[in-house]
Order: sequence, then C-alpha cells, then structure tokens
Amino acid sequence: MPTRIKLQDGEYRLVEDPFTTIGDDAGLPPGDVIISLTRFQTEGDQLLSEGRKVGVRLEPAEEVEALVYDLPRIALVAVVFPKYRDGRSYTAARLLRERYGFEREIRAVGEVLREQAGFMARVGIDAFSPADGSTPEDWARATHRQRHVYQRAADRRTPAFAERE
Amino acid sequence: MYRYDTLDKEFLADRAAEFREQVGRRLAGEITEDQFKMIRLMNGLYLQLHAYMLRIAVPYGALNPTQMRALAQIGRKYDKGYGHFTTRTNLQFHWIKLADAPDILDALAAVDMHAIQTSGNCIRNTTADPFAGATAEEIDDPRVWSEAIRQWSSLHPEFSFLPRKFKVAITGSAKDRTAAKVHDIGLMMRRGRDGAFGFEVIVGGGLGRTPYVGPTINEFLPANRLFSYLEAVLRVYNRHGRRDNIYKARIKILVAALGAEEFARQVKEEWEKIGPAGDLPDTEIARIRGAFVPMDFDTLVNRSEAFEAAKAADPALARFARNNLREHKRPGYTIVEISLKAIGETPGDATSDQMDVVADLAERYGHGDIRVTHEQNLVLPHVKLDDLAAVHAGLKAVGLATPNVNLISDIIACPGLDYCALANARAIPIAQDIARTFADQDRAELIGELKIKISGCINACGHHHVGHIGILGVDKKGEEFYQLTLGGSGAEDAAVGSMLGPALPAGRVAGAIDTMVDVYLRERQDGERFLDTFRRTGVTPFKEAVYADAN
Amino acid sequence: MRALTANRLTDGEVVFWKAGAWVERFADAELFEDAEAGEAAEASAKTQQTVIVEPYLIDLIESESLWAPLSYRERLRALGPTNHLHHGKQAEGGAAIEALQHASGAARSSGRVNLIKRK
Repeated sequence: MPTRIKLQDGEYRLVEDPFTTIGDDAGLPPGDVIISLTRFQTEGDQLLSEGRKVGVRLEPAEEVEALVYDLPRIALVAVVFPKYRDGRSYTAARLLRERYGFEREIRAVGEVLREQAGFMARVGIDAFSPADGSTPEDWARATHRQRHVYQRAADRRTPAFAERE
Repeated sequence: MYRYDTLDKEFLADRAAEFREQVGRRLAGEITEDQFKMIRLMNGLYLQLHAYMLRIAVPYGALNPTQMRALAQIGRKYDKGYGHFTTRTNLQFHWIKLADAPDILDALAAVDMHAIQTSGNCIRNTTADPFAGATAEEIDDPRVWSEAIRQWSSLHPEFSFLPRKFKVAITGSAKDRTAAKVHDIGLMMRRGRDGAFGFEVIVGGGLGRTPYVGPTINEFLPANRLFSYLEAVLRVYNRHGRRDNIYKARIKILVAALGAEEFARQVKEEWEKIGPAGDLPDTEIARIRGAFVPMDFDTLVNRSEAFEAAKAADPALARFARNNLREHKRPGYTIVEISLKAIGETPGDATSDQMDVVADLAERYGHGDIRVTHEQNLVLPHVKLDDLAAVHAGLKAVGLATPNVNLISDIIACPGLDYCALANARAIPIAQDIARTFADQDRAELIGELKIKISGCINACGHHHVGHIGILGVDKKGEEFYQLTLGGSGAEDAAVGSMLGPALPAGRVAGAIDTMVDVYLRERQDGERFLDTFRRTGVTPFKEAVYADAN
Repeated sequence: MRALTANRLTDGEVVFWKAGAWVERFADAELFEDAEAGEAAEASAKTQQTVIVEPYLIDLIESESLWAPLSYRERLRALGPTNHLHHGKQAEGGAAIEALQHASGAARSSGRVNLIKRK
C-alpha cells in the first residue's frame, strides 16, 4: 500500500494511505477514494452512500467555500500545490482549520518540498506527499527548526507576542 | 531603537542555521540549482553577473552604530570593502561567495540583522519615514508599526508564496518621504477626529512595467486594527492575484482589474470575518513602542552661536547646512542628511571606512541612530547644532560631505547592467555623467530641487517613473538606449512621469538633461521647482528643445 | 565563433570552458568554430551541477585581432563593472583585457533568456 507522511500527536510518521486518488475520467476502484471537487459535486452522494470514505482534491483556483456545506461528510481534503511557488493552498488550509473548523486530514499534494514544511504545518496541513523524497525525520526537523513563531495560525503554536507576556 | 530580545535572536539564529545546512546540501550535490534557487532567494542571495549578491534587510531603514560597523566589517572581509544602499533602504554586497554566505548570516545575526525576505514573492522589508522620531510633523512614530510588521511578516505561514513580491511603506504624517503611493500598500499616518491615530490605506500602487499611483481604499483605519486589515488585503491578493503572468501578478493589477471600490469591498468583507482576532494585542504594540521612547534631548535654544560662527568661517559648512539639514522637532537639534552621491561616484555606495565613520559620528554626536533613505542616502536624525561643525568635518574627511541632497546631482540609480542579471542597460555611468555635468554647486543650488531617478530595466528599482526626470535603460538591438520621462513624483503629490520622446543613446543623456534644465530656468516662475514648471508648461517646451537638432 | 560560459557555483565567478574544465580569463577560453563541438561541450557542462551554474554559449567577434564576446552584457561579464575599474577581471589589465574593452559589437546576449530567469 502507498504511504504518506502524517502528523499524529505531534510526531511525523510514515503511514499507509488507504485512499486512492482518482482522476475525473477514470473508473472507480473499490475502497476509499480522493476525487476532484467537480466529481464530488456530481458523484459524492452516491459514493458516500456506498459506505466508502471520500476525500476531495481542492485545486488552488477552487474556492474553499464551495466545500463548507459538505465538510462533515468529507474524510480528507487534499490541497494542491501545482508548483511550490503557488501559495493559494496555504490560505485554503488555514481557512478550513480556523474558519470552518475542519478537523480531519488536510493533505498537501503536488510540488511539496521540505523547505515548505514549516509553512504547511502552521496552516494546519497534517499529511504530506513530498515530491523530493524527504522522510518523516526531515519533516520533523524542518517544522521544529524555528523555536519561535511571530504569528497566530492554525497550528496553535504560541506566537512570540504571547510568549513574551 | 528596538532591541532584539531572546526570541528575536533565536529566530534569526535558527534561520541562519537552516541556511547553513541548505548551502551544505547544495555544495554536496544533494539538491539541484532549481531547488536551491528558491532557498537562496528566500535568504536574499542572488546570482548576478560577476558573483553572488547578498541583500541585507535594514528594517525601516534604521541602523545603530554596532550594526553599521558590522556591515563595514562584512564589506571588508567578504566583499571589496564597500556596500551599496538601495531604494528599498537595504544594503547589497555585490561580490559574495556562496561558501561564505552562511558565515555572513551568522555575523549579521550577531548584531540583530538578517537577509530574510529580501527576495522572493513574500512581504519584503517595510520602508518608513527616515525622519521618524525626529520631525515635528510626526503624528505617530512609524517605526513602532514597521517593527510590528517586520515581526508579523517574518516567515508568515500563509503569505510567503504570494503571486509576486509585496512591499509596504509607512509615513509618520501627511508628508511622504517613503514613496508610499507607489507601494503595494502605503500606510499614511492620520489623526482621527477623536484624536486617535490611524492610517490612510493606499493599495495597488507600483512601478515596473505598469506604473500606478495607488488608490485609497480606506480613508481611516484605526491603528489598532492594522494587522487584521493587512491580513484581509493579503488574503484577497493571495487568493485572487494573477499567477499566470509574472508581469501581471502584482497587487496593482488585481486592484486595477477589480476597481478600487470592489477591491475595497472584498477586503472589508474578509476583514469583518477575521475580526479583532487578527490584530496584535495592545500589550505587544506597547512593548514595541517602549523601544522607541523619545530620546533624552537636552534643552537648548534654537540658535547655536558655535554653529553660526563656524558657518561664517567656512563656506563649505554653510553650503552643507543649506542643503543637507532638515528641521528637528527639538530646538538646537537638526536632522543631518549624508549624501551618498559624491560627484562621479556610484550612487548609494559606501566604503567600509565611510560606514565606520558614520557609525562613530552617530555614536558620538547622534544618539546612536542612523537611517537609510529610499533615495540612497544616510541620515543622522538627532544632531546638536553645536556639534555640526565637528560632524561636518568628520564626514568631509571621508568624502561624505557632498552638499547636494535633493539637488540635481542627488541621483537615484539602480546597480543596472554593471552588476544586475536582469538589467538591459547600465544606470550608474549615466548617473555619473549627469552628476559631473552639474558638478558646479552654485548652479545646482540655482536649479534647486530636481530628482533624477534611473533604472536599468523596466523593473524600476531606480524608481524612474516617479523621478522629476526619470531615465529608463532599454536594449535596442544590443545597444544601450535611454528613455526619458518628466513630471513624476514619489512624494505626497505622487505622479507617474510622461514620456519625453524617442530613446537617446547613452552619450546624449546628460546633454539632454542640461538642455531641459535650461528650458526650466527660462520658464521658471517665482522660484518654482522643476516639477512645478513642468506641471504648468507640459512636456512640449522640453521636448522641442531636446529633439530640436533631430528635426 | 563561440565560447561557453557559466558562473562557478562556490563563488559565482564568471568562468569559461576549456577542454572540460573551467578558466577565469576569457582569453583562456576554448573557442568553438563549429556549432556541434560547442553544443557538445554545453551538454557536458550541464552535467557539472556541483561545479557551475547555468552554462550557455556566447557569440564572439574579432577585436584588435583577438576574439571578444559580441554582446555588451557578455563583455561586461568578461571584464567587470564599468563603475569600478579596479574590480573584477579587468583589474589585471593587458592587451587581452583592452581588446575586450575596445570591442564594439552589439547583439542581444545569447544567454539573456537564462539570465532573466536566473535572478
């Protein structure tokens, strides 16, 4: 079974990934799937009624608000980074966590490099499919690199201004 | 000045340690140049024509003597004994070795400095009024807010991969010495009806390929709501700014496409959702404010007999005083502008020896405070008139007493093709030519305020669009040509200049400016500035004179 | 006639290809008369990821019976900045440097596209 790096109880681990990512035109295998927002909007009800877990792949140009109504039924959101420099999915993840209270997995897919680890963890992304072969140890090191942070964010780390109080 | 506490220091140390490891991985071949490029740019390290260039942040342009000496020392040890102050009030070293960069970042961190976010599509160094804390015009000290922005924007989890770079400027009053209206966000300090202060928020100004004077999207933002509002602006931009075309990715394009009103509406809607949870606690602002408490100025009278006597005895000092001093809020003190535009030298360059002298003078006579201006000069913001002769003598000894601030030879120029991998043409030699043409200080003073700004490419680091005379280097079939614009301004009366006519070859630029100055002196009424004459007459008389021989 | 140039990884120094290695002086650069030899060298240079950054071929012209880069930008790279004549390779002086300084060709640099992307 394929794997992804998962943040669980503050630890980064390589864990098995029960989800299969399915393209819009591909046939559906049995089991848990990740599908596009478009496909979810037409086939989501059917798939969920079959008892599978369904994750939704959210492209950077898609509005996170389109998912809000269905969040209680969604097993995970895979936010896409088509290029490392495309930072729209940081906003999507942060809003999912902070504004819409989504507590299940948010997974980073696409050009996911360890240099982004600190930013991704801070906006509440907790699962990673790195494109650079980096390991859970690399991610743990990268996300713990800065002993202090200056902002409030979705990871609930204490910002410097609160540490100072 | 703000002093870094343990948290700030550890933040820099952690970042420098990470970069050392990343450089090690690159040199060992574990990461490709493509992957490494992102990393080094996030640490201000560019590869230019002749070597690496390291751009060091000077947050809101403020330096203490220890920091200035550290920069001087880095210049000696790792560069060629000099550095280059930029229009973003940063300092660039142009001859850096990749293998030395981690040691340099450590040396910077030791004096509370860094190169974080001096490149990349993130929130860059904030520019603030270089006279902050010294000018009587000030409503509130912009350094307080700039320091808070420095912290808030450092490794921001959501806004470090924006569509394009993002620059903020803050004034302390309605007077603008930061070019606020041509920034991604310009914050101009205002006093509200109830006496509380806040900001006029200008968004979507910018230079580059598509210059705009930014529209005001909020007439009065209460200061304590600044950070939730910034978050709202950045979020709307991060989500909706264009990413398909690098030349259309700045926020100005989004604001222009939506219209200022619609953009403001979207920001307001987002701002209301964020609410005060997005603001910094008052206690943190108060803590930062505590670092900028007014200095313990002596109680003096406005007139210094020592200074008057020295001026009478030394015409050079008198000339320096006429051109390089600005009014201080306290009697008996003055703001001293140090020109980095010695005739024939490179605009913005300072040698390590000069940096050391400025540090010494600031320590001895200037309350240990030094500023960098976006016009590539330095400032000693708090000098007693009684000490001015000594300060002048100290500056003069190292070639820093050029009495030309705001005059025609006080030229902004980007590094241009002499260094920069992006440039189309050289900027520095054009500045040198013009300065030599106007080396006669009497004539320069007769001409008065005239701001020439030169960029070596359309990216406009030399702010050419907002020069009273702007000069843009272009590449015509491999030869350097220069397009002139007139009537721009980067001050509170911000305007984008209008094109004079066809581009000129390098050898004709200084002559064309001389010709236009003659037109100005002929047309000038009541001692008006070049800019005001141009606004009255329009481009025609200037154009006719410059292209006369071509007709 | 062409030469192959790049910047050295460790210090950013402008370097030129010479028989599989890199030299700092343009005057020491290997000259490619035929296109194929130059392109083969470029392909080989691109595998030297830990030695140099972004190699590319430049066109040359004759100047004072020596060769010089055709484009102004490349002559600047081979010489150093014109505002500090004691900085960079030009500081050494001599006939080879003067030939570069006196060259007057004009063309867009063949490396331009890469340079703009490089930052």
